[in-house]
Amino acid sequence: MSAARDMLCDTTRTVLAGADDIAPVEEAGFALLLVAEDEGGFGGDWGDANAVLHIAGMLAPDLPVADVILSGLGDVSMPHRAAATVGLMAGAMGQALSLSIDHVNTRQQFGRRLGKFQAVQQSLAVMACEVAAVDAAAAAMAARLDATGFDAEAAGFEIAAAKLRANRAVGVVTAIAHQVHGAIGFTEEYDLCRVTIPLMRWRGEHGNDAHWARTLGRQVAALGGRGLWEGLTARAG
Amino acid sequence: MQSFALYPFDPPGDTVALRTDLRAWLAANQPTDDVVARANCWASFDPDFSRALGAAGYVGMTLPAIYGGGDRHPLERYVVIEELLAAGAPVGAHWIADRQTGPLILRYGSEEQRQRYLPGIAKGELYACIGLSEPGAGSDLAAVRTSARETSEGWRINGQKIWTTGAHLSHVILALVRTEEGSERNAGLSQLLIDLDTPGVTIRPIIDMAGNHDFNEVFFDDVLVPHGALVGERGQGWKQVTAELGLERSGPERYLSSHALLVALIDAAGADPDPAVAGLIGELTAEMWTLRQLSMSTAAKLAAGEDPMVEASVVKELGNAFEQDMPRRVQAIVNFDWDDEDDLARLLRALLIASPSFSLRGGTREVIRGIIARGLGLR
Ligand SMILES: Cc1cc2nc3c(=O)[nH]c(=O)nc-3n(C[C@H](O)[C@H](O)[C@H](O)COP(=O)(O)OP(=O)(O)OC[C@H]3O[C@@H](n4cnc5c(N)ncnc54)[C@H](O)[C@@H]3O)c2cc1C
Repeated sequence: MSAARDMLCDTTRTVLAGADDIAPVEEAGFALLLVAEDEGGFGGDWGDANAVLHIAGMLAPDLPVADVILSGLGDVSMPHRAAATVGLMAGAMGQALSLSIDHVNTRQQFGRRLGKFQAVQQSLAVMACEVAAVDAAAAAMAARLDATGFDAEAAGFEIAAAKLRANRAVGVVTAIAHQVHGAIGFTEEYDLCRVTIPLMRWRGEHGNDAHWARTLGRQVAALGGRGLWEGLTARAG
Repeated sequence: MQSFALYPFDPPGDTVALRTDLRAWLAANQPTDDVVARANCWASFDPDFSRALGAAGYVGMTLPAIYGGGDRHPLERYVVIEELLAAGAPVGAHWIADRQTGPLILRYGSEEQRQRYLPGIAKGELYACIGLSEPGAGSDLAAVRTSARETSEGWRINGQKIWTTGAHLSHVILALVRTEEGSERNAGLSQLLIDLDTPGVTIRPIIDMAGNHDFNEVFFDDVLVPHGALVGERGQGWKQVTAELGLERSGPERYLSSHALLVALIDAAGADPDPAVAGLIGELTAEMWTLRQLSMSTAAKLAAGEDPMVEASVVKELGNAFEQDMPRRVQAIVNFDWDDEDDLARLLRALLIASPSFSLRGGTREVIRGIIARGLGLR
């Protein structure tokens, strides 16, 4: 579906920009995104869903965009919801990072832009690494879901790993984003809380860290030490 | 760098067969099953193993056949090195020559240098070390002072390198030296390939905190090498070294150093681990799996001829944090006495002691974060 993905992303941005309820998303037909073309759907893959969710996580984290997209699948499991949430989380974290970069590049203290202070640079580098990790986890999970025809059980390993990785990143990303913003980031008016509060919520939804850590840990324990590596390489690459 | 899209990892040929063949070869040729020796295996020096690996076609894989190489794709090499590391194979002897010195000589070296060094590297018989750090130039590499002056007989070298891993076991050092008198910072630097048996070269061991002799001081006292020892262009040393560091930073060795511990933890936990151990295994697995995606994506970008400096730094930063934290996190959950002699305890002890080096070697954490910050547009 990648051929149409750029167009899909443009549409998503247009629909979500300034949207304050879910109606425009429903009207734009996002419920058909994951429905096969021969069933009258858009025939998108999970990579497409992930791209849309990424934008939703950035621009409209409060709207139930994931629910609309998943509704097209009919039979939706908890791991499917977890998978969709990872896409939203990646987007919201990316937004927290760009807001932070914009802020430190404009706000002056001690006669310099904040971004010129090494301590601030190092914090943002740490945040950027977490965001990169979540982006990568979301993309690899999407690839696995596509390879299995959206079979959440067959992609159970990747969903567990990606949701867990995203959950862990929430602590680091929200803490650093707020820290570099100072007090302005703690206001209702400023945009940062629009993404950090949803991140805090999503961390506990559709499986918190303990849930996915134990689920994945038990799965791996059953493989044995060497089996983990063999399992990983057999699943991808 | 604000969004990390995965670059497709798409090696030519049959990687399943490549893995299967190598696993069978390792089952027949792996010299030790001692867990501690297997951990951090890219520091384990075993020339017999390296030679056998070379003969089997797994060293110098990406070098051209005319120099004894395998003419293979960089991503096929990637598959091979991650298998070697995951198996804990003792690859230390040829590691640096295979990873960076060989490719650097191929890219920047003269025809004479290629013919002289590459076949031995591809055979797993010729070993190289990295001569960058000096007592006054660690993180601040542009402060290098070792000098090389061009004379009618060749280059005369005076100065000192430090922390040179494997110098005592290697044949050549690729040294960053100041070739223009009075030059400052990153101008006037060049790279020289110096045979370590040249008169005037003295190598003194430095014992590390684990009690091992891996790194060294290397002194150059009026060392004379031929004009042909210059690698690439005079004065372009900085640019060449930067390219070399790209090869050094994103490989699977940046997150697999503690892999043996994860394997031992899983084996010790058994099929039905208690919830705290299961949780830890799950967390570590999620991180390792993510790192592998990042590392493979970066390798694919590198193989496509791009220069993913920032991505490589992200892999190194996250990978080092992961492999450094792992022993601490295992210690926090698993009961173990410092002096226990079972496999898991010996491994844990060894990795706790080795782990401070993970975020130093190959560029310190602060330097790596600085590179990422530059990628974010902050510097
Ligand atoms: C196991 C091991 C193997 C090694 N092998 C080799 C080798 O084979 N060849 C080789 O050339 N070198 C090698 N090194 C050296 C390694 O590359 C250096 O240790 C590293 O570059 C740091 O230099 P330094 O030790 O002089 O620390 P310093 O530069 O003195 O730094 C000390 C601390 O201060 C921080 N710091 C320094 N400058 C800044 C700054 N501007 N801003 C913020 N923080 C800063 C550093 O990040 C570090 O945390 C090896 C090191 C180790 C530990």
